[in-house]
Amino acid sequence: MPPFRDDQILIIAPGSETTLAQLGLPESFTPARYRLRSRMFQAEQEGEYEPVKIRRKEKPASAPTAPVNGITDGEQPKPETNGEPEWEEDRISEDGAIWPIREGKIVDWQCFYALMTHVYNTVNPPFHTPIILIAEPVWTTKEHERVTQFFFQKFKVPAFTMVDSAMAASYAYGITTATVVDVGLGKADITCIADSTLYDVGRSLAVPECGGDAMTGRLEELLTGRKGFTREVCEQLKKSNVCEILPPDLEVPTSDSATADAPANPAAAASTGAGARKLSNVGDLPRGPGPGTQVGQEKKLEDDEGVLDIASIVAGGNMSGYLAQKDHEKAEKAAAKQQKKGSDAQQLAANKPVRQPNHKRTRNTFLYEDFALHDAMKKAGMSSQHMADMQSAMDEGPNKRQKTPEPQSAVSDRPADSGFTVQPHDGTAATDASPTGGLRREIEVGPERFEAASGKDGEPGILERIADAIHRTVQSCPDVNRRNELWESMIIVGNGAKVRGFKEALVETLQRKYIISPSSATIFTSELPSNLSTPMATGANTPQPGQLPGQQLPHTSSGVNPLLIAATHAQNPGLQPPPTSSALTLPQHSAHSSHAQSPTSIKLAKIPEYFPEWKEVGYDEATFLGAQVAARVLFVSDAGASKGFMTRTDYNEQGPGGIHEVYL
Amino acid sequence: MASAALAPTQAPKDEYAGDEINALVLDPGSYTTRAGFAGEDTPKSVVPTHYGVLASGEHVYGENAIHLPRGDMELVNAYGADGLVEDWDTAAKLWEYSITSRLTGARQTPPSRNGLNDTKDGNGDVNMDESMEQLQEEQDRALAEYPLLMSEPGWNPQKAREKTIEIAMEEWGVPAFFLAKNGQLAAYANGKATALVVDVGHHNTSVTALWEGMVLRKSLMKSPLAGSFLNAQIRQMFSTLQPPAPLIPHYMVKSKAPVDAGAPSNAIYTRFATPPKESFRKLEEDRVLTSFKESVVQCWQGPGRLENNMDSVKYAPPRPFEMPDGWNQVFGVERYKVAEGFFDARSAYPLPPDSDLEAPKGEDTIPSLIHRSLNACDVDTRAHLLANVILTGAGSLIEKLPERLQADLQSLYPNPRVRVIASSNSVERKYGAWIGGSVLGSLGTFHQMWVSREEYKEYGPGIVEKRCK
Repeated sequence: MPPFRDDQILIIAPGSETTLAQLGLPESFTPARYRLRSRMFQAEQEGEYEPVKIRRKEKPASAPTAPVNGITDGEQPKPETNGEPEWEEDRISEDGAIWPIREGKIVDWQCFYALMTHVYNTVNPPFHTPIILIAEPVWTTKEHERVTQFFFQKFKVPAFTMVDSAMAASYAYGITTATVVDVGLGKADITCIADSTLYDVGRSLAVPECGGDAMTGRLEELLTGRKGFTREVCEQLKKSNVCEILPPDLEVPTSDSATADAPANPAAAASTGAGARKLSNVGDLPRGPGPGTQVGQEKKLEDDEGVLDIASIVAGGNMSGYLAQKDHEKAEKAAAKQQKKGSDAQQLAANKPVRQPNHKRTRNTFLYEDFALHDAMKKAGMSSQHMADMQSAMDEGPNKRQKTPEPQSAVSDRPADSGFTVQPHDGTAATDASPTGGLRREIEVGPERFEAASGKDGEPGILERIADAIHRTVQSCPDVNRRNELWESMIIVGNGAKVRGFKEALVETLQRKYIISPSSATIFTSELPSNLSTPMATGANTPQPGQLPGQQLPHTSSGVNPLLIAATHAQNPGLQPPPTSSALTLPQHSAHSSHAQSPTSIKLAKIPEYFPEWKEVGYDEATFLGAQVAARVLFVSDAGASKGFMTRTDYNEQGPGGIHEVYL
Repeated sequence: MASAALAPTQAPKDEYAGDEINALVLDPGSYTTRAGFAGEDTPKSVVPTHYGVLASGEHVYGENAIHLPRGDMELVNAYGADGLVEDWDTAAKLWEYSITSRLTGARQTPPSRNGLNDTKDGNGDVNMDESMEQLQEEQDRALAEYPLLMSEPGWNPQKAREKTIEIAMEEWGVPAFFLAKNGQLAAYANGKATALVVDVGHHNTSVTALWEGMVLRKSLMKSPLAGSFLNAQIRQMFSTLQPPAPLIPHYMVKSKAPVDAGAPSNAIYTRFATPPKESFRKLEEDRVLTSFKESVVQCWQGPGRLENNMDSVKYAPPRPFEMPDGWNQVFGVERYKVAEGFFDARSAYPLPPDSDLEAPKGEDTIPSLIHRSLNACDVDTRAHLLANVILTGAGSLIEKLPERLQADLQSLYPNPRVRVIASSNSVERKYGAWIGGSVLGSLGTFHQMWVSREEYKEYGPGIVEKRCK
């Protein structure tokens, strides 16, 4: 068999929400080129699946097949006969989709196979292409065999291997000992790897309700009282950069603090109508003085929370009236803007400094793309032309974009449209806020946006759950002496952890709950951490137990440590050790580190930043990077010398069970 | 060694054999249930035997479920204090969970059709349809594909053994089955066929004498001085400290601040709308105790008893321990004293009157168990057995416990060569019986010993008494 080349390797990373794939390894590794939604649609026939939703056309006669604003109505059959039902592809809607992977588990095998086939066909690799698949940790031994069987028999691949996602993450970081925390959509996996050995015992697999979905759910729960905050709105809120998880010691801004910041620029507040801001219009951006009537008009159509119930407008047939109003409004806005530019340029400048960091503001806005509405309109049988009109009328996106920091670009990973998204030009498929068929609106949200990780009255929130699972996992690592090392090289990956401030908050939570501080009772014995110098008589050099858990490095302080004095006065005479010579005590403790208990410190591992493209988008999908590293090593450098993958010959000899010998 | 356990009078009928049989090994215990494929070095699936019963009556299994604090969950264990199954229905479900969750995958309702190959793609060299159909059939019964080797405590009564094979054959539909005593398996893990196996578990410590692969039934001794006894001792020690140590489990603490040794803790506690049940708290406290056992507790290594060596212990450096709420203290003599009950019942902390454990009796200590077990064996075998004392079980991982046992046995039996074999690898000791099963299940010669489905159908559950000695 000829050796494999860099450009011949196909990497697939199936996920609960997004499946990543890439053909070929570039010289410098890049993020996955293909990002496909991990879902398929039931085809007409039972057991067959389509990558895009095919819907029956409601009004065949009136709809011209024109490309509409970025949406192409695929291969649409021409209306010929009246009896023949007509179908069209809907690239946007995900109504009725089947998601074959839930919480990492493959729940619908046929659909999973169909998805893999779809990925394979989309990438369309040449014949001599080995495949490396990133396996979810929760897949069982038996399931590995099924997947292997499928790949060999369906695609006739020349070689195949699977790598565990936690292992892959550690490759990306280039470290052999790590605690990998993978926060996904519906679950989190926590894995200990010591010396490149993955510990199955005690591994926390698919910890439920610890993924991004749980945070969306929590936001939805918090915002239930407020009309219009559907799950989809909450999902986009979570992905926007106004949603943030604050460190526990930072106060969530209340309305008090918000009013406190108002006087900072009274002129701006007055002119932009601070009152209007409190009334929560469509965004708290200054409207400019003048059109006070506009507010009143809007009230009719928009509810108090600033969310339009457009669906009901569509259904109510009030569309044209609404559109007219919107147009009028836009014109007025433009006028106001003009006016502002002319007369109030100075004030505009004054407005700028008011913009405060997100965490200091009570309310903030984000851009919402309404896909449900698109769906509703299609269902209502609206013509494409009509929809395009509506879209341009209501799309606030581009208009606002100049003024607001673009909330979408930072975190959005929604592919531009459904199935076939490939953007070969820029290499990554991470989309910008190009028109994607959804209608964009600004929505304002209050301090709830900081509470995504909180728990429902007293129940543990996602951070506490994950923290407990991490503690459980590391503490059940059979090698007691490695635990401290494991605590000091934590890897947090997964798109669930992408929410602003999540990683920091998680580390903070761990530190507050679990860190073991140096005991004040043992500073005179050999239990001193080895990285600290011998205590001086003044106590200036002693480890300070009073350090805050948030501080990672042991600090030294000048002056006599009051805790030292406390420690020298025996509180428990029976327990207090008589001074012993260190010569006597040291040998006995050579096997034990300073503190037999762990963790004494908790740190995140640093990722080597070799790859500029990866650095740009962040390392949340580092597992994919790890798979690229593994692919190059296994298929190209090693080329099968140490049996890092399974060839077709191996498969014919050993059957699917052979995967266990090469599985990483 | 394996053939020794086969009844020589009866030729196995329809023996289950074949190349490369991938057997499942299940080693159920009262604290954790271990499962994995034969031939691997550690069990892939280790599931706590405790399970949660929700207010709705639903049972939840696995680490993720039972460690989540919730007000409506009661934690239950299907095992009784004697290390035997009490609730068979749940135990069977739990065992099945331990296998399906990590090894075979969950049961599926097979889709009526598989849409794998549409007709256009039917020119492949392997007929996918057929093989997949076969797979589906196998999956109707979760475990129908693999033969199953299970372990049992040596004192398992006949009724329980028959019930076990019934579950395996009828409920799970395994093609072949074997039941082995865990003492036997632990000896195989150490490559011995003649040994005296001392297994310190959670609820029970047992001693089993093994002669050329055969368990000497009379020699079987067990006592309740095991892991849970040590937990009780540590609890008792904490409560007798002045002031008592606060045993607050992690879930109750939101954050802690460092405090001086012995000073009251300075922590923010979690508030629950409905606090979790007492059984949950106890299990979570056990997690803290486990950490205490790992980092602080130590046996006096001998020679002699702790009470005669207090001076040397007093001058050893104490070890600090920090509770989840930040309270911390150093433990000097105490850390030795809690484990002394294993060897000297009189030195143990007296248990509180409401404890569900009985006060330790002198005959229950590990050295007396061994003594009693040896007395029940033939005189000629004793020297051999004493030269091969295998120490296994997670409870034996207490620091210096093997040294102490060696010292105590040496003083008890001054003449023969006494050797305590304890693997220095904690995994090997923790999962000793499972590893032995893994070894046994992957031996080619073992395959003639399986009780096959056909045999079971012919002879009924009684065959387990005949075949699995």
